[in-house]
Amino acid sequence: MSDDIQVSVRDEDNATIIDLVGDVTTFAEEAITQAYQSASSDGAENIIFNFRENDYINSAGIAILIGVVTEARKRDQKLLMTGLSAHFQKIFRMVGLTQYADLHPTVPDALASLNGG
Amino acid sequence: MSPHGNRVVELKIPSELGYEKIAREAVATVAHRLNFSEEKIEDIKTAISEACTNAIRYGSGSDSRMKVVVILTADDQKLDILIKDPGASGVPPEIINIPDINGMVEGKQRLGGMGLYIIRELVDEAGFIEPEEEEDDGNQFRMVIYRVDGNDSEPGASTPGTDNGGTT
Repeated sequence: MSDDIQVSVRDEDNATIIDLVGDVTTFAEEAITQAYQSASSDGAENIIFNFRENDYINSAGIAILIGVVTEARKRDQKLLMTGLSAHFQKIFRMVGLTQYADLHPTVPDALASLNGG
Repeated sequence: MSPHGNRVVELKIPSELGYEKIAREAVATVAHRLNFSEEKIEDIKTAISEACTNAIRYGSGSDSRMKVVVILTADDQKLDILIKDPGASGVPPEIINIPDINGMVEGKQRLGGMGLYIIRELVDEAGFIEPEEEEDDGNQFRMVIYRVDGNDSEPGASTPGTDNGGTT
């Protein structure tokens, strides 16, 4: 009973945005990892993971994101996350993920922060 | 619901990842009927997802021929959730560690081990219990969440530290 996640990569201003639509669970690992690798191989320095509010994220999905954080640190990339519901912002803070990725409400907010806004 | 006392909903789901979403939707429906706040409903949904995922992955080895049983008992004040699995992984952990994200990022800890910690932070009571009936030889994990805050601790208040990496 795997649920598809749709992951797409786009560039905007000085960031690469990875849009995630669907459940972020263990089934999402390949899609998320591939999207991140694609962004990195194109030289992305600022990567925004844009979630769709109210999608299901579980601890296995969070572990995938921690894996991305690990790679991003090695590459000296900046990670930002947008679109998370208040609940998942709380969960991300709870597990410490916000030590490694800045949370912003929307993609424009994240882009503004990168540009000193 | 109150004029009629407790309401009990019992689900039996295949031990296959993804089916925990059925428990998630069911508990949300019950919690809405009990007038839990939206924030608490989100907490309960995440907690039951994590507990069912543990039961599927560790309690029954993701063997879809096995079943995970979820029993939701609701009254005016609280929602009592019992999750039973066949106990394929043996004795469940007694200690719930704070996830060490720094250790994970530095490659010193394995990724994961956050499920039980998240559950404990989100609900009022959580833990494995001894089965009441002798024929129940698997694991039973119980969670209780009160409609109005029933404890002094704020969920999410503790800070992830640098201890070892968890149990799930």
